[in-house]
Amino acid sequence: MTILQNLLGSPRTFEGGLFLADHKSATARRPIETIHADPQGPGLFVPLAPRSDLPTRPIVSPGTHVLGGQCLAEAVGVDSIPIHAPTSGHIKGFSRVWSPVDGFLPCAVLMPDGRNDFITPATIWADESFVGQLAERGVFCSQPRMAAHTFILQAARAGVTELIVNAMETEPYLSSDLRTIVEEPGRIIDMIGEFADALGAHRAILALPNRHRRVVKRIQAEAAGRHIDIVSLTDKYPQCHPVLLVKSILDREVEPGQSVLDIGACVLPLQVVRAAAEAWLNDRPITHAQITVSGTAALHSGVYRVPIGTPISQLIDRVGTIARVEQVIWGGPLTGVALGRDDAVVTIDTTAILLMTGTSTHEPVPCIRCGWCVEDCPVGLDPSDLMQLEAEPSITAIEGLHLQACIDCGLCSHVCPAELPIAAVIKRRRNSMTTSALPVIDAAPAGPAAFPPKTVTAKERA
Amino acid sequence: MTTQTADMPAATLDLRIPRTRRWPTPLAPLVTGGSTHKDIVRAWLLAASLPAIWGVALFGPAALTLILVAIATAVGTEFFAAAIRGRTIIGGITHAALTGLLVALTLPATAAWYIAAAGSLVAIIAGKTIFGGFGHYLWHPALVGRVVVQLLFLNSLTLGMTQPTWPILSPDRVFVGDIRSTHPLEMSGYSGWSSLPKRTATDAVLMERPVQSLRRFSNGEIRPDINSTNQDVLRYEPLFRDVLPPWQDTILGCVPGGIGETCTLTLIVAGFYLIYRGYLRWQLPVVILAAAAIAAAIFPIESAPLPIGSALRNAESGGYDWFPIFTVENGRAVGVAYVLYHLTAGELMLGAFLLAGDMVATPMRARGQALFAAGVGVLTIFMRLYGVLECECYWSILIMNSLVRTIDARMKRPVLGMEPEAEPA
Repeated sequence: MTILQNLLGSPRTFEGGLFLADHKSATARRPIETIHADPQGPGLFVPLAPRSDLPTRPIVSPGTHVLGGQCLAEAVGVDSIPIHAPTSGHIKGFSRVWSPVDGFLPCAVLMPDGRNDFITPATIWADESFVGQLAERGVFCSQPRMAAHTFILQAARAGVTELIVNAMETEPYLSSDLRTIVEEPGRIIDMIGEFADALGAHRAILALPNRHRRVVKRIQAEAAGRHIDIVSLTDKYPQCHPVLLVKSILDREVEPGQSVLDIGACVLPLQVVRAAAEAWLNDRPITHAQITVSGTAALHSGVYRVPIGTPISQLIDRVGTIARVEQVIWGGPLTGVALGRDDAVVTIDTTAILLMTGTSTHEPVPCIRCGWCVEDCPVGLDPSDLMQLEAEPSITAIEGLHLQACIDCGLCSHVCPAELPIAAVIKRRRNSMTTSALPVIDAAPAGPAAFPPKTVTAKERA
Repeated sequence: MTTQTADMPAATLDLRIPRTRRWPTPLAPLVTGGSTHKDIVRAWLLAASLPAIWGVALFGPAALTLILVAIATAVGTEFFAAAIRGRTIIGGITHAALTGLLVALTLPATAAWYIAAAGSLVAIIAGKTIFGGFGHYLWHPALVGRVVVQLLFLNSLTLGMTQPTWPILSPDRVFVGDIRSTHPLEMSGYSGWSSLPKRTATDAVLMERPVQSLRRFSNGEIRPDINSTNQDVLRYEPLFRDVLPPWQDTILGCVPGGIGETCTLTLIVAGFYLIYRGYLRWQLPVVILAAAAIAAAIFPIESAPLPIGSALRNAESGGYDWFPIFTVENGRAVGVAYVLYHLTAGELMLGAFLLAGDMVATPMRARGQALFAAGVGVLTIFMRLYGVLECECYWSILIMNSLVRTIDARMKRPVLGMEPEAEPA
């Protein structure tokens, strides 16, 4: 095998993983559609913090009329981003809104006037640089979950040499990245160049699934002569995870507990590149989230640009249903969160809302040793073995490393015929391990206090 | 312009989104793969019923009785055990029925009904329940039951080496014939099951099991011939000519043996179905058969003494025949035929396709299963050639089952990003 690899190069894939039924036919061929805020509805509940620990300061008062793209709240601290109005309307007041990841966030309630007037872009900016523009126009990254400018600065400080733009999207139902590549390939290529310049990366790579051959050819033509490598990989789940992208493309392995930044690569989701294209090329602040709305209960499945702050109930009414919605997933079906209530809103880091008929009911039985989780684990763990750790009060260093190596892809629970909640148990155990003082791994890189180390480790692997 | 900190909103909390619906919030991942343990056991039951149907055809109503008794006892015992332990049956009654059916498939149709009942009882109690039920047992429960009844009823006429010939129904009496009305068959000149005479007084014929013939052959009990023209010693010719049925009969299953053991064709179809469903890894049966073939090809067999008065007697008596596969007699590759008979005779096919692949009692990884399967194949042929125990394939599966945890511990995958030395020894 080694001789073969020396002759042919690395196989550009990873051991384990699974080809899932992708359920993308309903969304992959429909153009991206913009949803406008409904003046008759309950209004937009724009969260005033992209993450619970990234505060902002509101600069509008209740009753004022705002235009689309007008700043509602300015950033507090260097890691935060300003919040902009998604459409024109008047501010009804301030409230709080529930988010599935952060719990309750403060929000501004904006009543749209239906005219959708946008503000003329400012001509003088505090920071003219590319990264500064990302910060001022509020570009946010969903994986890792932090402001785009923070991530870029962090990656630049880590001295990354490769920039990988992740358009793999191997989870079922999700089509947002594919539609982006299909509809605006030139802008994406331009922006990848900008990001590579900002990072000082030697090599810029766009990774996309090789089953969309015509899309790959189109983007290759678009990138001709631009020093951007187009790498097409199999869409074996979870190839979309940064750790496995680095393994497949660069043949480098990330040590358990470390992030891909530590081995000199920066993996950017395509959404960030798309948002940055809107901010940098269109000169508009980020006011909409581009999300996939699909699922077994959705009527008009597709990729939508939704104003940030749209209530989920409004979104469901707008998209329509063909069956009773029994479960709503925020994010992809394997890594996402189940939404328990319909008073959540579309936030800036939402990637998908999936409306499912049937909820997954589990009746676990003891492990039947089928070995499917062991064969499918993308990082080579023995999940059925790690599951036994739940009851153990203390764990050894090697087990701790194994827990840290888990990338939370959820495949073990997905394939488990005994319906054991393996992924959830491993995640819970790892979280309890990192909060308790178990000095298994010291992965926090040295950096200025402005960038807290936890944003490198915990969020990157989350 | 009011300045207001974000985490302390003003008292306008009446501005809320109306909450109308609530949904369950299970933990990620929120979609599952679709195959549950119930689907797996059901598929195995369906696969095992195929050789069972063929067995009923070849061995008549007696076989059906045995199958029903075994399944009923297994299910009843499972209910009884669950009632004693005061908990619900893990894995469902389907797994108990599968265990009972597999016990019946390994028994000869002439066995008494209480042997099948005892086998199922032991399988459920000693093989499964005392370990904690489905998912916990170390040895395959059906095989535990089978080898225990093998030892318990050794002196019974129905099992063991005490009975040299076993019955099989004539072609015109399939499904309905009585397996106990028999007459012995003259094997020299036998040209296959389908050419048996019609409308005889008895329903079944008696002949030696092919695996028993192979065992006698490997012990040097089958006398060789001397080719009168060129004075060659023919060791394999008499075996094929006078003792064994035609090879295609062992493929179709028209030879005596256990109810589900004989028909290679249905067992292969059942195995392919399980592989297609993804509930049996193809490596397991393939490696078992390959290892058994290699073992049969190279393991030496004892040379039979030459007929008294032969000129070659002093030169060639005693010792072993090495590398049987390379034997050529009268210009025919009899060594290859010998190896093929080893694969299709006896319980090896049933073991490879339906018994060895039990998920609970096999290693987790495919390459661990390959090692396990190699052990099963080699041990089966080893015990068949040199051992005294009957049911050699079942014993070798049980032996390899005991090593599953060891194999698993040695066959861990390297964790991404960790040096292999960091793994525990």
